[in-house]
Amino acid sequence: MNLHIADYLIIIVYFLFVIGVGFIIKKKIKTSNDFLTSGRNIPLWITSLAFISANLGAQEVLGMVASGAKYGIMTVHFYWVGAIFAMIFLGVFMMPFYYGSRARSVPEFLKLRFDEKTRGLNAISFAVMTIFSSGISLFALAKLLEVILHWDFDVSIWLAAGIVMIYTFLGGLTSAVYNEVLQFFLIVLGLSPLVIVALHDAGGWSNIKTLLQPEMTHAWKYMGHADSNPMGINFMSLIFGLGFVMSFGYWCTDFLVVQRAMMAKNMNAARRTPIIAAIPKMFMPLIVVLPGVIAITLMQPALASKGFSIPSDGKGGLDYTMTLPALISHYYPTGLLGVGITALIASFMSGMAGNVTAFNSVFTFDIYQSYFVKNRSDKHYLIVGKMATVAGILFSIMTAYIATGFNNINDFLQLVFSFVNGPLFATFLLGMFWKRTTGHGAFWGLLAGTLAAAATHGLTLAEGKGGWIYPLYEIHSGMGQAFIVASVSWIVNFCTTIIVSLFTKPKPESELKGLVYSLTEKPSYRQNKWYLKVVPLAIILIVATLILNFIFF
Amino acid sequence: MYKKLSNLGFVIGIFFIIISLILIIGGLISSALSYKLNFYTGFTFLLFGILMVFFNRNNDQQEEN
Repeated sequence: MNLHIADYLIIIVYFLFVIGVGFIIKKKIKTSNDFLTSGRNIPLWITSLAFISANLGAQEVLGMVASGAKYGIMTVHFYWVGAIFAMIFLGVFMMPFYYGSRARSVPEFLKLRFDEKTRGLNAISFAVMTIFSSGISLFALAKLLEVILHWDFDVSIWLAAGIVMIYTFLGGLTSAVYNEVLQFFLIVLGLSPLVIVALHDAGGWSNIKTLLQPEMTHAWKYMGHADSNPMGINFMSLIFGLGFVMSFGYWCTDFLVVQRAMMAKNMNAARRTPIIAAIPKMFMPLIVVLPGVIAITLMQPALASKGFSIPSDGKGGLDYTMTLPALISHYYPTGLLGVGITALIASFMSGMAGNVTAFNSVFTFDIYQSYFVKNRSDKHYLIVGKMATVAGILFSIMTAYIATGFNNINDFLQLVFSFVNGPLFATFLLGMFWKRTTGHGAFWGLLAGTLAAAATHGLTLAEGKGGWIYPLYEIHSGMGQAFIVASVSWIVNFCTTIIVSLFTKPKPESELKGLVYSLTEKPSYRQNKWYLKVVPLAIILIVATLILNFIFF
Repeated sequence: MYKKLSNLGFVIGIFFIIISLILIIGGLISSALSYKLNFYTGFTFLLFGILMVFFNRNNDQQEEN
């Protein structure tokens, strides 16, 4: 793939704009809250788009296109089962607690609801995860640019990290969020022509259904048994593992995304943020799943004349991760090629900036201010927040270089995610809806859930991974293994938290107002029009999601 | 001007207008960029950019009133 001067010009314009946004926002930054939490002053449309953009990093864009090619239309489950319902639940039930408690972060909410040790455990594991995730994003970007454009690996790492550092250092969370919205439009509008042209070239959806195996074009029909679908899981594992544990664990408790809703101007806007975000999220499969399905269709013998192919992985299989770059290279001419490459770069930088801004908040509020230096001036914490941003970027660069020495560091990261995020939702669910849950119960439940996840991974084997304790049980796919690990960890956390809570003393009810459902006054917006209310919007979205599932059944 | 630049919709609109001009003008003056897909995408980006700028100008006026 060779770039023309016009392609470079588009990339340069993008870089100038993201840095320019940082300089513009810098003038608004006066306090640590402005820098780390945006001062709760961001309009609804921006918080909503930022909410899904924070999840629209490189792993999402490249990964979902790759899954579309590998597993077919079943990949939509990550949206229509594994995202929309959890986003609605967050908006309807959980945002009142997050926003109403005035907590500045998810770990801080855990401190208010439970105790300091539960906050500490969550804050430290989250901080480590964000640095790893940011570093992996950086590594993947540099590797991709090295492979497809033959750019120097070191230059790509330092250039991308430098640009993210400039705009996050200058404008903090607001700057990152503004750029996430710009990146959202760039990714959607930049990849839309690809979908239209490639779909036309493949003969439309009807031809795709004719040419592919039926299990590649049906979302549910072949989910009855794990052996009868390419994902290797049955509908029960999917619904509980992905649709409940992993999905709710991520969308309802991961500070990276929840932070975007917490920036809203008021409670109603905060509650509507994930619900409004669910609308574009519902249609994202058109941009990130459909291209993968089209790509695998174009490789069928009947369409061999189109000359498209997914690169080989060198082991006799296909390198599915390269599906999107291969499509861009095949269909985009000079000019639009620059737009496509910029969209890819944007997705990597968006993922990295999101992690760094979540890291600096958690580090400053939940680690530094809580455990090291308390009761200092706001200016002091603003400086610490800025230093944490620089440190976060430098740690990310370090992680990116560490990743060059390991083939499977991304798998390791995903595993850590399932260990940490999997059980976390049980803690929140019990904490928010059962006033008897205690701090000791939450802490030991989280710890037991994480250990149970590790043990399940060590006792199961899938695609050569896991089984490091003893390969007791073999699972068809790595994805199925991740669902089972998350499910077991959730159940163990849930049960442990209940048992320990029953034997320990709960907080008095007066301290739990605004933190537990039964002790919190329900927000009422009777004066609003129906489309401004949370529940009617949620019902419409649920019905629309069910209809989409039936259409592609 | 600073107020306009701190309006995200305005900034996004300007960004897409610039990208569309690179695609459209580049396609008119250089054979390397002269592809139908560049023109179609360029005009779509131009329309989107103008709409973002226009709608955000209206929002600014409403806020001032």
